[in-house]
Amino acid sequence: MIASTGAKPVIERYLGRVRVALRGLPEREVDDILRELRSHVDELVGKEGSGVEAALQSLGDPVDLAQTYRPDNEIVRARCSDSPLIILQGLRRASRGTLGRATATALYVFGYSTMVMLWVEALEKLLARSRGGNPPSGARELLGWWVVPIALLAGWGIKYASDRSARWWIGRHRRSQATQEI
Amino acid sequence: MAKWEVQLRKGCLELVILGCLWPGKLYGLEILRRLESDSDLVLSAGTVYPLLSRLKAEGLLKSEWVEADAGHPRKYYQLTPAGRSRAVHMARMWARFSTSLKGLLSPILKEGGK
Repeated sequence: MIASTGAKPVIERYLGRVRVALRGLPEREVDDILRELRSHVDELVGKEGSGVEAALQSLGDPVDLAQTYRPDNEIVRARCSDSPLIILQGLRRASRGTLGRATATALYVFGYSTMVMLWVEALEKLLARSRGGNPPSGARELLGWWVVPIALLAGWGIKYASDRSARWWIGRHRRSQATQEI
Repeated sequence: MAKWEVQLRKGCLELVILGCLWPGKLYGLEILRRLESDSDLVLSAGTVYPLLSRLKAEGLLKSEWVEADAGHPRKYYQLTPAGRSRAVHMARMWARFSTSLKGLLSPILKEGGK
């Protein structure tokens, strides 16, 4: 048995508030969360004969519930992602307002910018040669074409180190949070 | 309930969810009822569902929607191989920790019981 027709607006209103509070998470993830919450309420009402109000009460305040999903998901996603935007979101969520977070974010942005500069340098070298560009007279190239693979490799290495250290920081924050809870 | 007891219970949430799912797959409400019947832990649905979502995102659980006879679908969770090995590791750590305290606690329990 699914919740009666009269109870549906109450459930939908509650789920609507959760949806609003989950804004920013991927649509598919939000739909899945809401489907599970709806299933929980239907189960309590249908199988255990609980009232709709009591079933919704077991989930707690919709905004608080959404917040419980949000930081965890953002932090977990950041730890598994290569996307700089998602990692930055994870850093933003981790240890809010601390000097450590600011330092970790600054180091990550610095590492990422260095990678971009190195890759642009490699690209410029390739483009300069294809346009027939040569070093100014009297100047001597130290690395020549070697600058391309070296810049690409160094850029990749710096990106790898920046990603790893940012993820380590986010993970460390989660562990310290867990320690506080215990 | 004393604050330290609340913190102790919070600290073992992940282990008890993995423990619940050790024998096989369960859906959210079954997990809640299993916790109530097999342990002293009475958790709210608002705690368990986000935790399941996090454990899934960490690759410790996988889930599937199953159309139930009840007329609505149920989301079943089960341990992944990574989840099983995490459960074994955590259970061993917990048992070791608990054993290591035995020497300290047994005189208290002995004399406190008098």
